[in-house]
Amino acid sequence: MKKTISLLLALVMLLGLCACSKSTGGQASQPPAQSSGGTENKDPAPADPGQYEVTEPITIIWWHALEDQYSADVERIVKGFNESQDLITVEAQYIGAYKDVNEALVSAHAAGSGLPAVCVANTDYVAQYGANGVFENLDPYIAGTGYDVNDFSTGLLLSSQYEGKQVAMPFLHSTQVIYYNKTMADEKGITIPEKIEDFEAFLKAGAEACGGYGTMIPGWDQWYFETLYLNEGVKIITDDNTCDLAGDTALKVTQQFRDWYDAGLIAWPFGPDASAGMRQTFYDGKTFSVMHTSSLYNNYVDKCDFEVGMAWYPAATTGGKNSEVGGCVLGIPAKNDQATKNAAWQFLQYLVGKEVNMDWAKVTGYIPTRNSVLTTDEGVKFLEEKPAFKCVFDNLNLINPRIQNAAWSELATTWKNYMDTIINQGGDVNSESEAMQEEIDEILADHG
Amino acid sequence: MTVGSRKHGVGYYVITVVAILITIVMIFPLYWMVATSVKSAAESQLIIPTLFPHEFHFENYLNVLTRANFLKYYWNTIVMTAGVLILQIGTGTLAAYGFAFGKFKGRDIMFYIVLGALMIPLQVTFIPIFIMCSNWGLQDTFLGLILPEAVSAYYIFMMRNSFMAVDQSYVDAGLIDGLGRFGTIQHVLVPMCKATIFTVTLVTFSNGWNAYFWPKIIAKNEVRRVLTVGLAQLKTTFAGQAVSNYHEIMAGAVLAVLPLVILFMIFQKYMMTGYSKAAMK
Amino acid sequence: MTDSPARTPPSGQTGAQEKKPLFTARTKSKIVDFLFVVPALALLALFTYYPVAKLVQISFTDWNLLSPTWDWVGPKNWIWLFTGSGAKYLWNSLKVTFLYSAGEIFATLVGGMILALIFSRMTRGFSAMRAILFVPKYVAMSSCAVVFMWILNTDYGVLNYFLSLVGAAPVDWLGQKSTALLSVLMTTCWRVLGYGMMIYLSAMIGISPQYYEAAALDGATRTQQFFSITLPLLSPTTLFLLVTTFLSSMKVFQSVDILTSGGPSRSTEVFVYLIYRYAMVDFRMDRAATSAVMFFLILLGITVATMKYSNNTVNYDS
Repeated sequence: MKKTISLLLALVMLLGLCACSKSTGGQASQPPAQSSGGTENKDPAPADPGQYEVTEPITIIWWHALEDQYSADVERIVKGFNESQDLITVEAQYIGAYKDVNEALVSAHAAGSGLPAVCVANTDYVAQYGANGVFENLDPYIAGTGYDVNDFSTGLLLSSQYEGKQVAMPFLHSTQVIYYNKTMADEKGITIPEKIEDFEAFLKAGAEACGGYGTMIPGWDQWYFETLYLNEGVKIITDDNTCDLAGDTALKVTQQFRDWYDAGLIAWPFGPDASAGMRQTFYDGKTFSVMHTSSLYNNYVDKCDFEVGMAWYPAATTGGKNSEVGGCVLGIPAKNDQATKNAAWQFLQYLVGKEVNMDWAKVTGYIPTRNSVLTTDEGVKFLEEKPAFKCVFDNLNLINPRIQNAAWSELATTWKNYMDTIINQGGDVNSESEAMQEEIDEILADHG
Repeated sequence: MTVGSRKHGVGYYVITVVAILITIVMIFPLYWMVATSVKSAAESQLIIPTLFPHEFHFENYLNVLTRANFLKYYWNTIVMTAGVLILQIGTGTLAAYGFAFGKFKGRDIMFYIVLGALMIPLQVTFIPIFIMCSNWGLQDTFLGLILPEAVSAYYIFMMRNSFMAVDQSYVDAGLIDGLGRFGTIQHVLVPMCKATIFTVTLVTFSNGWNAYFWPKIIAKNEVRRVLTVGLAQLKTTFAGQAVSNYHEIMAGAVLAVLPLVILFMIFQKYMMTGYSKAAMK
Repeated sequence: MTDSPARTPPSGQTGAQEKKPLFTARTKSKIVDFLFVVPALALLALFTYYPVAKLVQISFTDWNLLSPTWDWVGPKNWIWLFTGSGAKYLWNSLKVTFLYSAGEIFATLVGGMILALIFSRMTRGFSAMRAILFVPKYVAMSSCAVVFMWILNTDYGVLNYFLSLVGAAPVDWLGQKSTALLSVLMTTCWRVLGYGMMIYLSAMIGISPQYYEAAALDGATRTQQFFSITLPLLSPTTLFLLVTTFLSSMKVFQSVDILTSGGPSRSTEVFVYLIYRYAMVDFRMDRAATSAVMFFLILLGITVATMKYSNNTVNYDS
């Protein structure tokens, strides 16, 4: 009896030991080879331009986050590539929202298997993927194949870099805008204010006009409101790697949101159903305006039975009226084999190419990424088709890259959860902000 | 139970009315699911809902089956459930035999080890299992979906109890007749414990079919997504085009529950007693 | 492993059998018997016991799923769990889990009992109604959750419509702290009520009518009969339901994931969801493993406590 117990105990401990040794060996040996491999590639690359060529037939997978409504366009564009050459066959897979793609990609990266050849990533994951070697450094590929990146708008190119390395390429981009009920605005003579000081009056007028909210600020993604903090001079992550979201300036902004919420002027949608709910509220005319991404322009226009206007966020008290780039970039997961990466690089060039990009810009609300479109006659033509985009084109140079920090996605989750507590659940602005700052500091320290 | 008097008091009718009301409330979510699933998008979003659909839009089902790939999810769910079922029955029956009639040393301790597994759910251990399966390349594979669920302590426990209720002499007779252990299990024990095996298997089947936590973690990609996870993602799949696409989500929900509810109707008696049998043990 | 039966000493529990002849054949037979349980044991060792050891190990590292390397950090995660920002969420999720658990137990036990009393009549109509009440148990939780998500929808939900008929203002069921957990519980209740009823009913049928006849002769009212006969005699069933419901409610994940994602303000963040969030959303394997070990310890403690309690009060054969 006792012997059996001790035998089993020994067995369990043996298993435990195996566990220790196995993981220490496996985890430590694999990845460093990975990260150094990327940098080593950089030097020999220009010497041998042929090393990135695709020589044998190959099938590669592309993970994207384009929902069902775009499936026909995805199919058409992928088909265009497959028919343009003989060697590479691309298979597009819809994974889910950006969040789902992120979870799937990180899991596959950790496993080192089941990775796609090309993967989309929301703009704020770039640093995380760059820092941890999830995405391949594309610099050697760009150099090796002589790919011209100068036509990309500088801000977009920057937002797909991590520490100066091009770890991704700009794909589908958007920015934060305010959609408003233009029919109603013209009727009641309401204009979107240029300055945040006038915003409250606007909210009141809008709320009164539609009998609902003045505007709705998406609480489910901090991207929509972080720009309002940044413009006021809040850094979110300061130079000494701490958080200043409980600083005086940040508190003022938060308090402002809270006051508007308490006065019934704004809504702060949050939770699994939030995005759909917000759009529906706007379609139904129960909010005068919404803050949302420019990429959904076509959706709003299609669904609303009134004219939809698009406006830039109001300028902060500091006068700053920057916005941040949204949408997604494309990268090549670094743990793929070289043949796959080479094929992926071919497909990636096609996807971010000018024609395909314009194609996307036409069928969606994404902005063209190329200077040769933005600043030329083509841009004028684009604006003729979609005049509402004038506010975006006018402010193109104000669209900034995202904050790039490896801890960003954890920080963002914490932030938006606290904001929900403060705005929607009546949490105390000061004490909750301080608790949040403390927690974020801890996250930053862990990653630093 | 109730003493059957020919003249019923007021209480009798009150209970009847209350029972009918409760039944209506309880069946309403199911009715609402089916009713919404055939409505058009516009009809499902009326401020005053129509309790009975004005028009029937069966294309909702077609949409879900093809555009949202529910056909594939069905296949994945079926293979996963079948795999889990076969392995659990296999390992479970063998182990139950060993624990019920085996005479090796440490048998009871080992049985307690099996019982101990009952209180270590996958929700505790999923992290290392996820890493192991990832290292073996089992993400987005059937094996990855099935393997961690290949043995069920519950199944072993129930089967062992039911085997132990069989008189030892039957088993001895089987062995003496030269049936061997497998033959004894197949020709003596299984027929004698048919009812238990059937109910426990149904419960296992239903658990497998409804599994969500592990499939969500190990099969993120559509190729091996199962019905439950696919249903939860319907919202994002269609989001954008139809903002509130509950009519399609409900169609998906109907598709996901249909096989089990049909099974329930066929085997109603077994399934209802299955749980109460578990309670009696 | 296999030599353990071979070295069976003459003493011990199987001593009586050792005296029989054909020693080697017996030993061989024992080994074969043992082989029957090997697949199950091996799989349990690999997928249940080994992961627990592994979890303990991870809880002393700083492993992030994204990061290529990790280091030993000693008890840092444990300090974080009990005194750092982890503590706040640990207690919060414990509170939420136990609240949820209490709700589910209440629904299954009290609700199930009341339904069992109402639906006890043995007529065809009642039998059909019982079947209807039991169906939800077989409706996949994910279907169940999306159906309730729809019913509870603020703008188009049918529940708010019914409320508006009696003049109530629409409620944001899933979006506000005060009602979110209640909404999750509502979904659960719908699923478990019929189950509790069935279990109680089948136990009630087993109670001999003689008890009631004797009590009736003594002049006991229906209510008195219920409290002095039915309830005490059902105590093993109640304990069974209590233990199994408790253990399954501790593992709740699916309904929370679909209905609220743990929000708003973490008011529905049950323990499993907390672990899941650390592991699969934040990729913080260190924090997730530490919380998972904690969860395991809690489950272990509760199970041992209930087993001790039930051994003292209720007789079980195994």
